[in-house]
Amino acid sequence: MTAATLLDERTPTRRRRALDALKGPVGSIGFMLVATIIVGLVWVGPAFLAPSNIQIVGVSVAVPLIVAIMASFALLAGVVDLSIGSMVGFGAVIFNQLVAAGMDPWIVAGITIVVGVVVGLTNALVIVKFGAEPLAVTLGMLTVLRGLSQVIVVNAPPSTLIDPLYNVTQGAVAGIPVLLLIGIGVTLVAAGIVSKTRVGRNVQAVGGDARAAARAGISVTRVRVVALVVSAVGAAIGGILYVGQLGSASNVLGTGLEFQIYAALMIGGYSITRGGVGNPIGGLLGLLVVAGITNILNIQFFDPDYLDLIVAVILLAAVLVDRFRGGDVFE
Amino acid sequence: MTTTLITSTEPSRPGRQGGARRPDARPNVALRDALSIAGVWLLLSVPTTIVRPDFLSTQTLLAITFTMSISGVLAVAQALVVISGGLLDLSLPVALVLSAWAAVAALTSGLPTWAAVILGILAGAAWGSLNGLIVVFGKLNPIIVTLATGFGGLAVMLIFFKSAQIPSTSDLRLFGLGRFLGLPNVFWPMVALIVLTGLALTYTRWGRHLVAVGGNPRAARARGISLRRTRFFVFLGAGAIAGAAGVLFSAVNPSFTPASGAGFQLIVIAAVILAGISLSGGKGNLLVLLLSVGFLATIPASIAFFGLAPAWALVFQGALLILAVGIDGYRLKRSAR
Amino acid sequence: MKPFHHAKRAAIGIASFAAAGVLLAGCSTVGAAAPAESDDDTFTVGFAVGGQPDADWQELQGDVAAGLAEQRGWDFVELSNDNSEATATKNADVFIQKGVDVVMMFNGQPSANPVIAKKYAEADIPVITFDIAQEGWYFVGVDNAAAGTDGGTKLGELADEKWDCKVDLVISAEGTSAGQINEWRTGNARDAVKSACPDIPEDAYVSYEADGNLTTSLANAPGVFAAHPDAKNILVVGINDQAVVGALQAATQLGRDGSIMGWGQDGGLITGDNVDPNLVGSVMYFLEGYPAFAYQIADEIAAGNAPEVKDTGDDAAVSVTPCPVTKDEAAAIPSIDDRVAQLADAPEGTTEYDLFCTT
Repeated sequence: MTAATLLDERTPTRRRRALDALKGPVGSIGFMLVATIIVGLVWVGPAFLAPSNIQIVGVSVAVPLIVAIMASFALLAGVVDLSIGSMVGFGAVIFNQLVAAGMDPWIVAGITIVVGVVVGLTNALVIVKFGAEPLAVTLGMLTVLRGLSQVIVVNAPPSTLIDPLYNVTQGAVAGIPVLLLIGIGVTLVAAGIVSKTRVGRNVQAVGGDARAAARAGISVTRVRVVALVVSAVGAAIGGILYVGQLGSASNVLGTGLEFQIYAALMIGGYSITRGGVGNPIGGLLGLLVVAGITNILNIQFFDPDYLDLIVAVILLAAVLVDRFRGGDVFE
Repeated sequence: MTTTLITSTEPSRPGRQGGARRPDARPNVALRDALSIAGVWLLLSVPTTIVRPDFLSTQTLLAITFTMSISGVLAVAQALVVISGGLLDLSLPVALVLSAWAAVAALTSGLPTWAAVILGILAGAAWGSLNGLIVVFGKLNPIIVTLATGFGGLAVMLIFFKSAQIPSTSDLRLFGLGRFLGLPNVFWPMVALIVLTGLALTYTRWGRHLVAVGGNPRAARARGISLRRTRFFVFLGAGAIAGAAGVLFSAVNPSFTPASGAGFQLIVIAAVILAGISLSGGKGNLLVLLLSVGFLATIPASIAFFGLAPAWALVFQGALLILAVGIDGYRLKRSAR
Repeated sequence: MKPFHHAKRAAIGIASFAAAGVLLAGCSTVGAAAPAESDDDTFTVGFAVGGQPDADWQELQGDVAAGLAEQRGWDFVELSNDNSEATATKNADVFIQKGVDVVMMFNGQPSANPVIAKKYAEADIPVITFDIAQEGWYFVGVDNAAAGTDGGTKLGELADEKWDCKVDLVISAEGTSAGQINEWRTGNARDAVKSACPDIPEDAYVSYEADGNLTTSLANAPGVFAAHPDAKNILVVGINDQAVVGALQAATQLGRDGSIMGWGQDGGLITGDNVDPNLVGSVMYFLEGYPAFAYQIADEIAAGNAPEVKDTGDDAAVSVTPCPVTKDEAAAIPSIDDRVAQLADAPEGTTEYDLFCTT
């Protein structure tokens, strides 16, 4: 084979790959996002894309985005971590309480992340080493962390406004929220890891067919453990960022966040019932679609209950579409 | 063959399933589960009694039986879904409140108690069949479906009502306040339901089909069992049972709101898992479920006796769940070798 | 060769990303784009309801406020804080973008209030807050401390009258996430009971988490009653009627309601046909009618005469007078929906206290 032939084969493959991407889940969620933007422009008007509105959407989607992307590796690896919402809350509570007690924020951030690692390792130990069912284990961890948050925060939580952190989490550069840019950056890095590196391919292999992956020499244990730790650490970081954004942490922070995140990720092409599918870009788009719809209803001052109904319907539609595309069929 | 995220990381082994199976085909498994729960129950009760000897009293018994009444009925509904291979029903809190609301609405508009009870159960069944239809015709995973319907259902309820109150003079309310054989009235329907459903699973054709479908759907279909019909009726039945829970709920909660069911979600799932009912389906013993519901209901009472903040109950219940599934998984792994 | 290239590319990618992150952090500025002007010159009220799932008065506050705005020909937009501090903060951004002229809100998760206050201050929008004080915001609310003391005093007096102050157990059904308000309502009530009946032993005072709603209260209370099996004469105070009634119901289920009296707060369950037999009284705040007080302030703001900001419970912009009522007195008070309807028909400036507090 000559060098010329090799070059020839590369270009069509790239074009074909782009076309395939458009037809796949990333493509359809992309269309959904475009549709949402169009609906927004038609219904709300040009103010929908005004800088202040981008700011509103960006600031509110940024932290869930970061947590979601970090948790998406676990989904890819075939383990669903339901404890991320409570971990966000617990991390926020720890960060808030320790900083309010006077400790240096950087050290406290380190402590919070270490707590995240511990939680992730605990999940991993029971799921991977003891072979327990991920749903049950992470459900238990969700309960433990929520209980601990309620034990710690009994009265009004202290207020900790850390100016540099506040500037990062609520600030904007050229009209786009900093935290959103960071979130998009994280997404791009994650997407790169997933599609371009061997690590990413290993994770997908483990999620797709653990047995085959093991036979191919991939350490299923290591992949799953790392995925669960990344998930918990991502949630811990999310908690820290929330404290930066909101200036405090109540004992109900993060309640239900895991379901919001997974609904958005599923709309974006992931599956909580089978591993090996999903791309971080799809996850980003899924979160943006939900945030966009939320925003349209907000600035039109609609009853927020309708929003939950709409998200529920979209979620069902998304998994239905996924099923038609050859995904999981439940008999 | 894709790995499922929800169930054990070890794929189910076709060789062990199939054929006519009773839910506790290996009775020593059920016995072993029962003994483990009894053991942990003792582990909880003994220290509490040492610290507070008055822990063993009728008051505690009343507290525990009251607490377990409604979660027990909901746990039966969840257990049916899980045993049949439906993974999990995350919309039970909606079924609970919807049925309670239906019963209260009936009573408020003057209908007799029996009509209100039936309407409540029917409301639950209707909710269940909604789930069933989407799962069966969409061929979608029930966890995702019930996640969505749970969200959506709560939103719809919030749009339609803010709070509901049962008429204080109605027979249903008086039933909820009364006692039978020294224990709360609402406790007995729960026990009856667990026993009856457990017997139905073993001795009726419907029950056996349910278990077969959960154990090995392909083999069940090969035997001529209609998967779609079975699954649909499982969700309908579970909904009806949740409807019964809703009726009981309205009898003891004089005032409630659409979100009032949320507190039951975790405890019911934990009870099912602790009872050794595997999320991969195909097996489960409802008498053991009764034990696990009772055990979980003892934890808040114990916490109160120790004088700790009630939030600790959540911590212990969660930790126990993790421990229990860990041990269970370890045992499964070891026997698989 | 290839893996090395990939790894190097990845490393460069991550390094540049990190550098970009540091740059961004340094260069970012806070503060939304200049707040949009109102589309026209109509005075616009932005209302954020609490969104707590167990409190029907919160949504009704929004309805009452909408009606009052319509009376004045003002624009009215409403959002729900959804009992989440993240949503409350986002709502602030939305109201600022809309360019409202005044904000009225009930925020049940006040931990984010300092950040929200910062945003509104920068946008120069006055805020009227219900029951939850925040520096810089007009405080409209019950003097919760006084309300707590009132309830406890009345209950203590009843205990003296009926039981000669021989009380075995004083249960406090709390809602700790309400923070200071919980402290005022339940703590002060306990103190008032203590003053009325000083001989009650210290360990007879027991608190538990009722989370301010009946279902949770009913779930957590049985353990408390079981843990004090010998208590016969029992008093119950709490953060609101829901919490207190939950405890009373638990007592009934455990057969401990032979000699029990509960005094609630906020009057949520003391009116109507289904009042718990052991709820001997409550303190009506007529929460759903708060907007009437807020509009007194809004009227002045709209006229260009913004009053001085009074932002604490002790020194309130408008101090809502609590209306303690016994169960019998409450029988004359209409239900919450009727109250809202009657308020809508009443002349401008009337408050629910004027209409319904006859004691």
